[in-house]
Amino acid sequence: MRTWWIIYLKELRSFFLSPLAFIVMALFTFLNGWLFIGVVSAMREKAMPYSLVYQLFGSGWFWMGFFILFPLITMRLFAEEKKMGTFEGLMTAPVRTIEVLLGKYSAAVTVYLAMIVPLLLFFPIFKMITEQEGAYNAGALWGSIIGLILIGAFNTAIGTLASAMTSNQLIAAMLTFVGVMLHYFFGFFSSLTTVADSRWNALLNYFSTPVHMRYLSEGLIDSRPIVYYLSFSLFLLAITYHLIESRKWTV
Amino acid sequence: MIEVSGLTKRYVGHTAVDDVSFSVKKGEIVGFLGPNGAGKSTTIKMLTCYLTPTAGTATIDGLDVERDSIQVRRRIGYMPENVPLYLDMRVSEYLRFRGALKGLGGRKLTAAVDEAMEICSLVDVQRKIIGTLSKGYRQRVGLADALVHKPELLILDEPTNGLDPQQIRLFRDLIKDLGKRHTIFLSTHILPEVEMTCNRVLIINRGKLRASDTPKNLVRRRRQGGEVVVDIKADASAASQAIQALKGVTDVETEGVDGDWARLAISSKGKADLTERIHDLAVDQSWKIRELVQRDATLEDAFVDLVRKDGVSK
Ligand SMILES: Nc1ncnc2c1ncn2[C@@H]1O[C@H](COP(=O)(O)OP(=O)(O)OP(=O)(O)O)[C@@H](O)[C@H]1O
Ligand SMILES: [Mg+2]
Repeated sequence: MRTWWIIYLKELRSFFLSPLAFIVMALFTFLNGWLFIGVVSAMREKAMPYSLVYQLFGSGWFWMGFFILFPLITMRLFAEEKKMGTFEGLMTAPVRTIEVLLGKYSAAVTVYLAMIVPLLLFFPIFKMITEQEGAYNAGALWGSIIGLILIGAFNTAIGTLASAMTSNQLIAAMLTFVGVMLHYFFGFFSSLTTVADSRWNALLNYFSTPVHMRYLSEGLIDSRPIVYYLSFSLFLLAITYHLIESRKWTV
Repeated sequence: MIEVSGLTKRYVGHTAVDDVSFSVKKGEIVGFLGPNGAGKSTTIKMLTCYLTPTAGTATIDGLDVERDSIQVRRRIGYMPENVPLYLDMRVSEYLRFRGALKGLGGRKLTAAVDEAMEICSLVDVQRKIIGTLSKGYRQRVGLADALVHKPELLILDEPTNGLDPQQIRLFRDLIKDLGKRHTIFLSTHILPEVEMTCNRVLIINRGKLRASDTPKNLVRRRRQGGEVVVDIKADASAASQAIQALKGVTDVETEGVDGDWARLAISSKGKADLTERIHDLAVDQSWKIRELVQRDATLEDAFVDLVRKDGVSK
């Protein structure tokens, strides 16, 4: 627990002391601000059946940012240490692999949360300025926040695994990009197709981020996506754990 | 302190460490010597729990490196080859991080970091970013990291690699001094260093342990014969032939010719003192002598001999 905390702080520190952090944060916030304005002006053009929250997170554009965000947040985690050789110093200190893994992972999740806080502030600010009470309701916002946290935890786990697979940050970033994108588009296309057999639909929707977010941003909080993202994050972290341990047995 | 038995590490296609057994007693300074690719770092990585042995066991202070890994790591201060460091951190900040990882906290941590910086003469650069430091200073940061938690055992993989002669001397003195408080296991290529700092030498080649002895004994064991160097004013080849004919001489080698002067290295069999005979011969032939010395065998000779016997690994 103590070691976890020490590593967590160290990771946060090295992230926020690098210029990359601020570039990523500024870019992500700027893009989302731009998208937000787009959604707001679209709603001004004509009446929309959906809330502001639903419109924003239902937009494919919003998720594009994620394809870049997660590679940038997670690529350093293990790849950099392996390249620099500091990984050897780290693992020969009296630390447990699980503490190292969770320290790094939770730091990356924290960075991600810090990135989406400005975005979440858009909504109350919008409400305050425009006094549009009907723009969205609290349930929709909370549902979306839960969705963003779960999806973030899952995507960070993809990135953590990718970073543990290589000592090249660029390769780690590309693997994460591909992983996050494939997962999203799988869900995106499966949410468009309707198979005659509705059992198949249900199964495909179980994996679909757009479908999850559609419900969550309507304020419908369901246990299925929660179980889905948590169990798969855990699964990816378990693989990462074994990957880190496997270096000991290199043949 | 260290007890190694039958230690083996196999990579695909070849065996990096092959059935190595040795032990290191508390308080010893042991040098681990071997050519490139001999398996030094691999052995050290197994001792520090970074790699798991393919076969055999290693214990530190009676604790098994596999079963009691965390306990073992608490007792070891390790400085890896090439001294990897977080280049974006400040010296004191880095040492605080490392000390904390090794279980120190609060005032104890501050005191330990200060002491380690004091020992390694880092106090003046403690606010500097490690990436801006010279190699010599980085090496000291690595050493300070290894000893910050006051481990019983220091394991240093080529601690003086890449340092200039003055830094090497400083480091050597530092290590000697640390030897009063810690058991030290260090790997190196630099032979004089081993002769000066270590109580005992282990020589490894192609994954196999070739010798384990004091530097003195290793040299003595090798020195059945000695070598005499003579610098004379004479024709090199004629003088070589004349000397070759002397009793006890096995080989004469021309080391260099400088104008009229020839420098010859003469090897002998047995303990016969050749200097006298060569002197007599020179007087006889009326060669002028400007140098005539008995050259002692060095650890380097012993090392080269041992290693040459079974060839150098790829
Ligand atoms: N991960 C690995 N996979 C395969 N072979 C390896 C691996 N690591 C080391 N080796 C091989 O094992 C042998 C021993 O390497 P090791 O690094 O232990 O040598 P060393 O004695 O430390 O050499 P040096 O003096 O150059 O540091 C070498 O032949 C090396 O190529
Ligand atoms: Mg080595």
